[in-house]
Amino acid sequence: MTVQHSVNVKSVKLGPTVGRLLAMLLLFACAVFILIPLVWTIAMALKPAGEIYSGKFLPVVPTLSNFPSAVTSIPFFRYLLNTLVIVVPNVIGTVVSCSLVAYGFSRYNFRGKRVWFLVLLATMMLPGQITMIPQFLIYRGFGWVGSPLPLIVPAFFATSGFNIFLLRQFMGGIPKDFDEAATIDGAGPLRVYAGIVMPMCKPVLTAIIVFTFMGCWNDFNGPLIYLYDSQKFTLSLGLSFFKGLYTSKWNLLMAATLLVMLPVLITFFFAQEYIINGISISSGAKG
Amino acid sequence: MSQANATRNAQTAIDRRQNRQGYAFVAPWLIGLFAFTLIPMLFSAGLSLCKWDIVTGLRTIEFVGVSNYTRLFADRKFIKALEVTFTFCLISIPLYQVMSLLIAMLLNMRIRFMKTFRMVFFLPSIIPVIAASMIWSQMLGETGLLNQGLSQLGIKGPAWLNNPKTSLYALVVMGVWGIGNTMIIYLSGLQGVSEEIHEAASIDGANAFQRFFKITIPLISPTIFFNVVMAVIGSFQYFTQAFVMTSGGPLESTLFYNLYLYTKAYKDYQMGYAAAMAWVMFFIIMTFTALVIKSSSFWVYYQSDDKI
Repeated sequence: MTVQHSVNVKSVKLGPTVGRLLAMLLLFACAVFILIPLVWTIAMALKPAGEIYSGKFLPVVPTLSNFPSAVTSIPFFRYLLNTLVIVVPNVIGTVVSCSLVAYGFSRYNFRGKRVWFLVLLATMMLPGQITMIPQFLIYRGFGWVGSPLPLIVPAFFATSGFNIFLLRQFMGGIPKDFDEAATIDGAGPLRVYAGIVMPMCKPVLTAIIVFTFMGCWNDFNGPLIYLYDSQKFTLSLGLSFFKGLYTSKWNLLMAATLLVMLPVLITFFFAQEYIINGISISSGAKG
Repeated sequence: MSQANATRNAQTAIDRRQNRQGYAFVAPWLIGLFAFTLIPMLFSAGLSLCKWDIVTGLRTIEFVGVSNYTRLFADRKFIKALEVTFTFCLISIPLYQVMSLLIAMLLNMRIRFMKTFRMVFFLPSIIPVIAASMIWSQMLGETGLLNQGLSQLGIKGPAWLNNPKTSLYALVVMGVWGIGNTMIIYLSGLQGVSEEIHEAASIDGANAFQRFFKITIPLISPTIFFNVVMAVIGSFQYFTQAFVMTSGGPLESTLFYNLYLYTKAYKDYQMGYAAAMAWVMFFIIMTFTALVIKSSSFWVYYQSDDKI
């Protein structure tokens, strides 16, 4: 590390300060472009109704009253509950089913394993639109359309090839000696999976939990297709509905937007490294 | 002799157990594969050859052969949707790739606050698309922040999203906000390029531009390849922003392919027609992906053979 660093300093001897300063300035300008919409959103959410069109960036008399108004103008807590009813089973179902399947691919030599794994990788490339319509018709046949079931049940059948792939890669790095020792001690395959391998997969499981939570929380298309009773809307669907109702009340809309964003933002601040590593691995650039 | 038989029997017993337990573990995925992917795919292929208005029920399903496909190309709106989507791809893919690579390179310079910058650039990628759409609807509105800024300079900007001349480009600009994901992938690709190579090249007299085009680009070409393929797939599936912010308007200037598909399926209930559209989209994506893969032998350079 120290050696590399000294080499680095030497190589940019010509203009280390000028180059770096320029890079810093450029990055700073880009960062401002990224952050302005967010700061603006917060500023707008703090503006009283009279200041929406004031033409000023920051509120003159900031108020927090938009937040309680937003929460009562739409059935916010009902939507929150509806969202959680979908998010929680999705996280549990994805973790359990994907890890079982990854364990099978990582630890057993069953017939046709290679072919099945290639099929798994191929399905990751398939655009969802191909299966979207028949799936809708099948769920309609079951009488599930209008309920959150189509958005929950698939998670229990390891439908995310990406998660399986991520877990299998990680399990491949866990020595089989652990499994064998446990088997000699009389543990069955499920005991080995749940008691030995799963606890060691904690970092990658954390990433998968975070990805599933965020994907599900942010999902718009799924709820849009399957939930048409406004009593069953999720937060993201409710927010777009809200936009149609209160077209000019931007302060309320932005307050509601901030509330919907808050959980993902908090998750992101705590799980940054897991998220960024997971994305890097997905491209094959790392791992 | 009998001992050899015994070992062989023991071996087949192990094989059998490997098969049984292995399939038991992957069973959830296998069931899901058939239930949620393979059977729907077959169903979808069949459906695309039928005319079916879902409202009237299964009795009215009618086999029409390839007429859904031939009708597509006589459908003015379909052609418009293709035009919008291709225009968006042609502008946004090169723009986003260049910008995210540029930012990734700046971040890779080991400057101070690198982690903070990385976090800031990645931030918009985790914001729910619906929230981002709300924010940008406001920003790009007639009295939005952009026009407020322009009015300071004495320019009266249009309502960017309500003007057929600017709406698509407004969405392109908004998309720049969300390139964090691509940027992170480039950054991890760049971090795999060892500094010794750069060092050696600059000793040999290569300038920064030569080093960039002759060393950096070839070494991160697999990453570029991955990002371009993902961008093509993503652009064809572009939906939520257009649905929420413009509903395809004004004057169909943002009628994206996927938005038209959604309208046909869930507003007009023309399931057969929409299924045909989905297959055409699949075919287009596959063609582009194949082109990128085919061309990759000219420009993608793998350092090792063990890539999947």
